[in-house]
Amino acid sequence: MKSLGAWLVCAAVFPAAAQTNYSERYAQQCAACHGPAGNSELAMTPSLGGQPSFYAITQLFLFRQGRRDNEAMVAVAKGMSDDDLRGYSEAIAKLPPSAAPASAPDVQRLARGRATAQRHQCGACHGGDFAGGQQVARLAHQREDYLAHTLRGFKSGKRIGYTNAMNEAMAGVSAGEIEDLAHYLAHLPSR
Amino acid sequence: MKASQKLFAVTALALAAALSWAQQQPPAEEPFWAKGRPKTDTAMKMAPVPAFPIPTAADKLPVAKMKLPPGFKAEVWASNILDARGLRQGDQGTVFVSSLFVAGKVYAVVDKGGTREIKTIAEKLMLPNGIEYHKGSLYVATPKEITRYDNIEANLDKPPTPVMIYDKLPGDVPHGWKFIKVGPDGKLYVPVGAPCNICEVSDTHAKIMRMNLDGTNVETVARGVRNTVGFDFDPKTGHLWFTDNQRDWLSEDLPNDELNHLTQPGNQHFGYPYCHQGNFADPEFGWGKSCDDYAKPAVLLGPHTAPLGMRFYTGKMFPAKYQGAIFIARHGSWNRTKKTGSDIVVAWPDAKGGVSRVEPFLTGLIENNEYLGRPADVLVMKDGSLLVSDDHNGAIYRISYGR
Repeated sequence: MKSLGAWLVCAAVFPAAAQTNYSERYAQQCAACHGPAGNSELAMTPSLGGQPSFYAITQLFLFRQGRRDNEAMVAVAKGMSDDDLRGYSEAIAKLPPSAAPASAPDVQRLARGRATAQRHQCGACHGGDFAGGQQVARLAHQREDYLAHTLRGFKSGKRIGYTNAMNEAMAGVSAGEIEDLAHYLAHLPSR
Repeated sequence: MKASQKLFAVTALALAAALSWAQQQPPAEEPFWAKGRPKTDTAMKMAPVPAFPIPTAADKLPVAKMKLPPGFKAEVWASNILDARGLRQGDQGTVFVSSLFVAGKVYAVVDKGGTREIKTIAEKLMLPNGIEYHKGSLYVATPKEITRYDNIEANLDKPPTPVMIYDKLPGDVPHGWKFIKVGPDGKLYVPVGAPCNICEVSDTHAKIMRMNLDGTNVETVARGVRNTVGFDFDPKTGHLWFTDNQRDWLSEDLPNDELNHLTQPGNQHFGYPYCHQGNFADPEFGWGKSCDDYAKPAVLLGPHTAPLGMRFYTGKMFPAKYQGAIFIARHGSWNRTKKTGSDIVVAWPDAKGGVSRVEPFLTGLIENNEYLGRPADVLVMKDGSLLVSDDHNGAIYRISYGR
């Protein structure tokens, strides 16, 4: 409910008329929560900048089908046509990758998070630079609160992708490790 | 010691402690498909890609790009079938279509003479790739269980509650999705793939089983099978022939995927994980093993080409040379720099139990090293035409010959 409330407060609801410039529609429909350039400043709301279009369309598809659980996004995606899914996902992929937050990272948590990412081979799918690709999410410089929330969701089984791949990947990661992992990925230092 | 130095020392100590703690933990497993992947930048960028979640509109399907032998024609038979994979035809003409995890559905396509109506008859299933139609019933296999929908064609709008016939499959996602078929012996053939790219397997995996249609009397007919997602029975001999997808990450060009021929049910081992393509011992599991001890493939189908569904041609429409030949859908590679496969090839069995030759049949679906479509299964229709499913476009094509 909290997320729906946040969405209702921040979403500018425009008639989704036959407007085919999806970058403009992103600005009207999505930017209030996810940021004009895809860099979210809203708690628990992901940055979309730099997400691969295949990942974006997959998530919109899962929201539309009700297979991914988020009241606000299910409500938004339900009214989308196939063309909308393609258009929005392509517009999202054109947004620049988000930058690291201005606040300084905690070096100890950074080191622990890096070690956890290495040990659990996160880069095997998400890439050594955590930029994602195809259907796999970009993690670099994602919001820390959203990352931690998402990883907890995968660990508890509340969130399921196409398969249980992420649920299995998170099975051996402790609650403390999730917090450090989220901190590390959110602040990911350049290599 | 100054305060800043002290802070630095404490931080360094904490860092060292954190790192040494991490180093003591055993590394977690890679995803199953990534095991054995070289750590080069090129290989590290390769990964399986699921079907696109939006079917391609009928007028954008790549039929004009398809190349076929002279006299053959390709057309769109049905579109807007998300994740269309396995194909079966009912006695009354209904075409049943399975899917993987993108859709999780089983569909029925009813030909209304020129237009086709698509009905979803089961949904929210886990990787329901395995389907079979037999004597009025539809069988559906997930990695975990096999169920049966009786009198299905009379109940497409209100399918009956499925009857559980077997629920003791391992249920692994890796290579757990099925291709199932009833043999001439009246038994249901069910594979269980290796739960990995390459690993030692126990008796529970890497095999093809058969069972009575009620799920009883399960027996293994073939061992050493890594991941078969297509098989059929030779209409002349009744023998099982099956495609098998071979291990990944050895190299761009080795090993080849296989077409195999089972001549002694229960007594043949097809090599996995010890020997690939009949002549190449695995660099790890092949030590101490000889390829001479394993059944050899009938023919090699190219590296990483991913041969899936296959059917003996028994129709009357195609030229005589195709009688008894095997049409094979190759889904195409996901971990090869230059894409290969993504076509239909035809293999001709010879008199000695092997294959005399393999010819391309439907090509043209790779352009600028990108897939325009990816065939997953074939079906010989009652009129002799050939249906081809394409999971990446969510479509079914019809290949016909002559007028």
